[in-house]
Amino acid sequence: MIRLEQIQRRYVSDEVETTALRDIDLAVSAGEFLAVMGPSGCGKSTLLNTLGTVDRPTSGRYLFGDQDLAAMGEKALARFRGAMLGFVFQSFNLIDELTIEENVALGLAYRANGGDRRTRVSQAMDKVGIAHRARHFPHQLSGGQQQRAAIARAIVGDPKLILADEPTGNLDTANGEQVMNILQALNEEGATIVMVTHSPSHADMARRRIDMLDGRIVASAMRAI
Amino acid sequence: MNRFALLSLYRSLTRHKLYATLNVGGLAVGIAVFLVLGLYARFETSYEKWLPRHDRVYVAQTVWNLPESPFNGAYPYTMGGLLEQLREDFPGVVGTRIRGGRNGGTVIRGGVATSADIAQVDASFFDVFDLPMVRGSGSALRQPANVLISETLARRYFGTSDPIGQTLTIAVDKAVNYRVAGVFRDLPANSDFRISVLVPLPAAPPSEQWFHWGSSSLQTFLRFDTPQAARAFEQKLPPFVDRRGLADMGKDASRIQQIKLLPLTRMHLEPAGSESASAKITVVTLAIVGLLTLLVAIVNYVNLATARANVRAREVAMRKVLGADRLALVRQFLGEAVLTVGVAALLGLILAELSLPLVNAAGGLSLTIPYALVVPALMALTLVVGLLAGFYPALLLSRYPAASVLASARSPGGGRVGTRVREGLVVLQFGLAIAFMVGTAVLVAQTRHVRQSDLGFQREGLMMLLSTRDSLVGADRTRMIAAAIRELPSVRSAAIGNNAAGGSGEDNADNVPLPGVAGDGPSLRWIITGPDFFKVYGARVLAGRVFDAAHRDDDALARDMASGINIVINRQAVSTLGFRSPQEAIGKTVGGKRPRTIIGVVEDMRFFSPRQPNSATYYVYYSQPEKAFTAVVSIRYTGDPRVTMDALRTIWQRSVPQVPFEAATADTQLTKFYEADDRATRLFAIGAGLAVLIGCVGLWGLASYNTQMRIREIGIRKTLGASSADIARLLVGQFLRPVLLANLVAWPLAFVAMRTWLTGFDDHVALSPLFFIGGTAAATVIAVLTVLGQSLRASRAAPAWALRHE
Ligand SMILES: Nc1ncnc2c1ncn2[C@@H]1O[C@H](COP(=O)(O)OP(=O)(O)OP(=O)(O)O)[C@@H](O)[C@H]1O
Ligand SMILES: [Mg+2]
Repeated sequence: MIRLEQIQRRYVSDEVETTALRDIDLAVSAGEFLAVMGPSGCGKSTLLNTLGTVDRPTSGRYLFGDQDLAAMGEKALARFRGAMLGFVFQSFNLIDELTIEENVALGLAYRANGGDRRTRVSQAMDKVGIAHRARHFPHQLSGGQQQRAAIARAIVGDPKLILADEPTGNLDTANGEQVMNILQALNEEGATIVMVTHSPSHADMARRRIDMLDGRIVASAMRAI
Repeated sequence: MNRFALLSLYRSLTRHKLYATLNVGGLAVGIAVFLVLGLYARFETSYEKWLPRHDRVYVAQTVWNLPESPFNGAYPYTMGGLLEQLREDFPGVVGTRIRGGRNGGTVIRGGVATSADIAQVDASFFDVFDLPMVRGSGSALRQPANVLISETLARRYFGTSDPIGQTLTIAVDKAVNYRVAGVFRDLPANSDFRISVLVPLPAAPPSEQWFHWGSSSLQTFLRFDTPQAARAFEQKLPPFVDRRGLADMGKDASRIQQIKLLPLTRMHLEPAGSESASAKITVVTLAIVGLLTLLVAIVNYVNLATARANVRAREVAMRKVLGADRLALVRQFLGEAVLTVGVAALLGLILAELSLPLVNAAGGLSLTIPYALVVPALMALTLVVGLLAGFYPALLLSRYPAASVLASARSPGGGRVGTRVREGLVVLQFGLAIAFMVGTAVLVAQTRHVRQSDLGFQREGLMMLLSTRDSLVGADRTRMIAAAIRELPSVRSAAIGNNAAGGSGEDNADNVPLPGVAGDGPSLRWIITGPDFFKVYGARVLAGRVFDAAHRDDDALARDMASGINIVINRQAVSTLGFRSPQEAIGKTVGGKRPRTIIGVVEDMRFFSPRQPNSATYYVYYSQPEKAFTAVVSIRYTGDPRVTMDALRTIWQRSVPQVPFEAATADTQLTKFYEADDRATRLFAIGAGLAVLIGCVGLWGLASYNTQMRIREIGIRKTLGASSADIARLLVGQFLRPVLLANLVAWPLAFVAMRTWLTGFDDHVALSPLFFIGGTAAATVIAVLTVLGQSLRASRAAPAWALRHE
């Protein structure tokens, strides 16, 4: 479903050049659950952002299905994200001024055709077990609840690909388990997931795992079933 | 406040330079506008307050109440002999008359006459007007041959030599030698009195109308020790008028004329006669503009300060963790705010001082800053605004639980309440700004309208010779001068009348009884015209004809009153006299015992102020108009006015050098009517412009704060599929809503204010919806432009960067 070919990402700031990604070749097939691991600063988030088209590679090709995303304009990419992708962040990134329900509904706000928005929002909230908190504001929720709300927002639009950047990084073990279980369930229902994590046990819940070092993919392993 | 607090304030101001500039600069400009307009209002309301015991002095007003008369209303003038009759009937009354004033006579030195501000006053003048003396004393006026002069005049006439005892030849009605007996300090700028020479009123009445009730020739002032005494005295005046006015005005004279007492300090802004209270309205309006501008600036400041404070929530939380108690935090925030406002106040003062010369030029004023008053006032303002601006953040932040601030990834935004409050303040601010813009547009439109409106005569190429009004000139010389003027190559025609464009002549009215209608009939203004009068003015004839030397019947001088005269009326008089059309009036005779036959109707010619209602007028014809009591020569010329003016001066100096020459173009004469409004419009526009500017600064600051706060949200929205355009729309829209809501504040405000102002003009522009739509459109465009730049920049930010942003 996704192919990255020879992706490079360089940051240039004040004469200092950082190469966050070097010669990345990666294929992700539909229905896959991929974990990305590696030490801090090795380029995991950059890779995820590149997959999410919120960061553009300096060079290389990014094919999504048969679309070449490198050739798409800013506006088209925005529509693409709205239709195809769902993001989950380490720090939840809910909007403080909006209720949980409104935050989840925001996942449908930039889609041309959202279907029955109300039902989809409540279904998404049910799925992550946050429906009883619909009217609350983010700061009234625990971290685990906030992250589940963020997942509801990511899945409310039925994305083809879910990108999760350390989704359990700010959570305790129990809440982390809960989030992982939700992700796994989503994968079993057919969602494609790419997840960055520092936890080997969470990485083990994925079907495939890649290890990064200094901007390169150094290892790729399938989980034995 | 400790050293760290000061340091943190200093760093916060210098680090956030833009924020500091907007915040402090906006408030400083607001304070400067308030100061300047406040000084103006203070100046206008301070007239005659420089006079010792000014609160005990009253001016006697003559209040006319005639049916339909253009002269109805209160005037600060009385007949010459009023004070004498008052003294006879009410022994012990203290008062003085002032006859003359600005150009009230001439000083003759070495055979050359120059106009001077001469006033003839009673010997008791100094009992009422206790002018500060430099030399001599006020009691010198008891000697009929003594004169007191101002410091400036003493210096001009006598240089460094001692003025006391010198001789001065002064002509008011006739030339008389006086002995200088004292020098008084020049009257200040905030005085309506223009007096540089004081001479005693002559013992014998100087005019035959002196004791004629219904005449008005000078000002009478009375002194009472308490307001109660003045009011009690006023109550006794109607019977006095009935008694004394019986001979001239018939029974119950007080029904048509009353004498009222007006406190001296109110004289300056009090409208005379039927004039609208424009001077008062102008002062009040400008004072309100100043206040509102300050309010906008304060709102702005408080708004930005509170918005900024949220950003500092983390600092506050940290300080709490480090052990600061609530009181210390509240103190710190209040102290910071007061200090910042203090800086702004100082800057405002400097700005006001710097801009004062400009404002003085624009407003024709000579304002200065009275530091003894302004500095304490600014200190009080600093305290109030500082506490106001510091109060909300101090309370909000010090109460916010530190743990939740530190635990959350974001600062508290004051929640929805904070957002609503800020939005409300933007609404208020922009509402005022829009109202100001609408007001400015209406003011400019009206002042232009007045300048360009059709006056019923051609104002270009028209000049008036005014010095023929002096009784020393005489009819023969006036006729000769007029003849010489007609010979000038640049003069096309010239005509004599007893009034002229700009209203510089004699102003008369009388009743015109209508046939078949009981009573005295309406009162009409009347003007004496000589040959060519209507030709010089280019009057448009609506029906019938104008006077013609060929019609011997037209000459009112040649006919006796009972047999009737021919008159020309203006359009206004057509309906006043009860005719349906100009044509219908032709050939009709009105006027009862003094029959007047209408031979023509001309378009209204507005000789007087646009603030005075256009009055029904009839014109009378004299074949020898120089014989009228007052004669003004109106001249239609071509080419450079200075050429004609110089030629007039030459003719004048040849014929009557003992009378000072005075001539003016119609434009100059009419400008007098517009000046005050033009001045007010300019001041208003400056104030309004700055208020709008401050409003924009506030909006800009708020937008930049808001965008800053929402950068992460922008990132989130982008990952959810929002495009740059979506984001820009979101951000601009957020500010457009309060700006559009602001119209709800602005429109009613502007409508009421402008309708009130416009009713002061007899001839005014319509209060078209375009003014309002225009103001709104301008405000919307300004608001969009103000926030668009930042919104676009923020919307284009790469989402990955935005998400990393804290
Ligand atoms: N906007 C940027 N400008 C400059 N350098 C950047 C930028 N974003 C990332 N980098 C650099 O790129 C490299 C990869 O960063 P990235 O955020 O992908 O690391 P990471 O693997 O996600 O680390 P962590 O596990 O700590 O989240 C780092 O060296 C980082 O400093
Ligand atoms: Mg990372």
